[in-house]
Amino acid sequence: MLPVIEARDLTKRYGAVLAVDRVCFSIDPGRIVGLIGPNGAGKTSILRAILGLTRYEGDVRVLGREPWRERAALMLEASFIPDASVLPGWLRIDRAVDFVAAVHPRFRRDRTRAMLAKTRIPLHRRVRELSKGMQAQVHLALAMGVDAKLLVLDEPTLGLDLLARRAFYDALVEDFMDESRTIVLTTHQVEEVENLLTDVLFVDRGRIVLDGSIESLSTRFVAVSVEPAHLAEARAIGPFYERRMLGKTVLYYEGADRVALSSLGELHAPDVADLFVATLSGATR
Amino acid sequence: MIRFLWLIRRELWEYRAAWILPSVTGGLLVLAASFGHVDVDVAGARPGPDALGGAVLFGFGVVFLFVMLAYSSWYLLDCLNADRRDRSILFWKALPIGDAQSVLAKLATGLIVVPLFYFAAADVTTLAIAFIVSLRARAWIGSAMWHPGQWLQLQALWLYLIATLAVWLLPVAGWLLLVSASVRRATVLWALLPPLAALWTERALLGTHWIGRLLASRFVSGYPVAAFHDLSGSLLGALGLPGTSRSATPPSVWTVLAPLRFVETPATWLGAAVGAVLIAAAIRVRARHADP
Repeated sequence: MLPVIEARDLTKRYGAVLAVDRVCFSIDPGRIVGLIGPNGAGKTSILRAILGLTRYEGDVRVLGREPWRERAALMLEASFIPDASVLPGWLRIDRAVDFVAAVHPRFRRDRTRAMLAKTRIPLHRRVRELSKGMQAQVHLALAMGVDAKLLVLDEPTLGLDLLARRAFYDALVEDFMDESRTIVLTTHQVEEVENLLTDVLFVDRGRIVLDGSIESLSTRFVAVSVEPAHLAEARAIGPFYERRMLGKTVLYYEGADRVALSSLGELHAPDVADLFVATLSGATR
Repeated sequence: MIRFLWLIRRELWEYRAAWILPSVTGGLLVLAASFGHVDVDVAGARPGPDALGGAVLFGFGVVFLFVMLAYSSWYLLDCLNADRRDRSILFWKALPIGDAQSVLAKLATGLIVVPLFYFAAADVTTLAIAFIVSLRARAWIGSAMWHPGQWLQLQALWLYLIATLAVWLLPVAGWLLLVSASVRRATVLWALLPPLAALWTERALLGTHWIGRLLASRFVSGYPVAAFHDLSGSLLGALGLPGTSRSATPPSVWTVLAPLRFVETPATWLGAAVGAVLIAAAIRVRARHADP
């Protein structure tokens, strides 16, 4: 199976600042990949590079194309939703639909219309007259009207309230996702997308620090809640991160012997948010 | 091609002033014609009604022409900058539209589509004014303004102006687009300062005036010489001013237009070549700047 995205030594500089540093990764079709990292880690630069929206160094192939040279062609099969509210304020919703339908051969107007019909968005209004949540819904409806193989989302729910965020992700999973499609997204609200993701890429300071499917992470990493009595023993096994919680200490291990650990306390699979914090602040690593 | 028309349509959604401004201009002129009063007494000479009718039509056209040039310049300076300011460039670039295509659509809007709106507005306005004036002046010059020959000449003049100016002003349009695509803000300053700086630097260091002459010829003196036969002479002649060679019949547009000379003038094509380079540069810059 040919990967949807393949990046080799992807590098992005802004003047003297190295935003992305020789990053390599590959994403298969049918995956929902979370690109997770702190502010300024290089997530947006990576997304822009794979869509040909910015220049980069290195070898990048997306849907078999070279993004920087073939952006317009790539956008026939890829959709992009940057952080909320980049729709121009002067654009009327019905005209936005007309326009995309006119310039995009793979756009299916009925799909977008159906999605918009489920909302209470007035179609003859301009974007600037809508709330932020409605703007995000409009953008999502436009992007999902495109029969795209790849959907890229950069902080799509930034600035939205809880209801709007939930509605956004529900629509994403229900109306867009199937085996032939791929989603790559970045977000700060890791907890919200955790159940959605099939894969994660942790990015820090322009490098990928962790890359894997959710299943592989749960076999690779394990967390143990340890009573103070067993703490010294547990520390001897070499956790890469620990934090105190309600009198107990939770220790995180990579590739450790579970049998040995299970005698020290309760084992559980760390969730993505835990792993994110553990990996990035892993001072003991 | 249909895609291209949609891109132009998009521009008119965004820049509604492109058609509102000529409509308002026309409305104001109609108001002026309805209530205003003009005494015609040019240096003691009383021009004939035909000549005056033509001059009135021409004068209104000139108003439209100058508003059009001002608006188009502003449009070209703003069009690539606006969607960077509001970050909507990320939306437009997520559509399968090449950078060259979107820049060329904006160029065509500024150089051809906007002028055509002004042409249409000028036509409607002059018709309305001819009607009003012929009521008020009791057909003294009204008949001249209704003259089908005059009317046809005006149409030809407009289309000729739009076509030739679109070529002649290509370097200016290219420069405005390049500035629009390149800088983040203060587009007007960036558009004006570098040419002025170059002009002053040349004067200070070399003591020559090449750049100044080049600009003056592009903006003022060069165009009428390249595109018309003796434009100022025939204009003044049309009014019957003393000292001009006034013929019995008013000069017709057909004798003034000089398409062949325009095509044969090297400055036309040198300018167009410079324009093409600047436009290509604007497209390149546009491709690079996804970041608002």
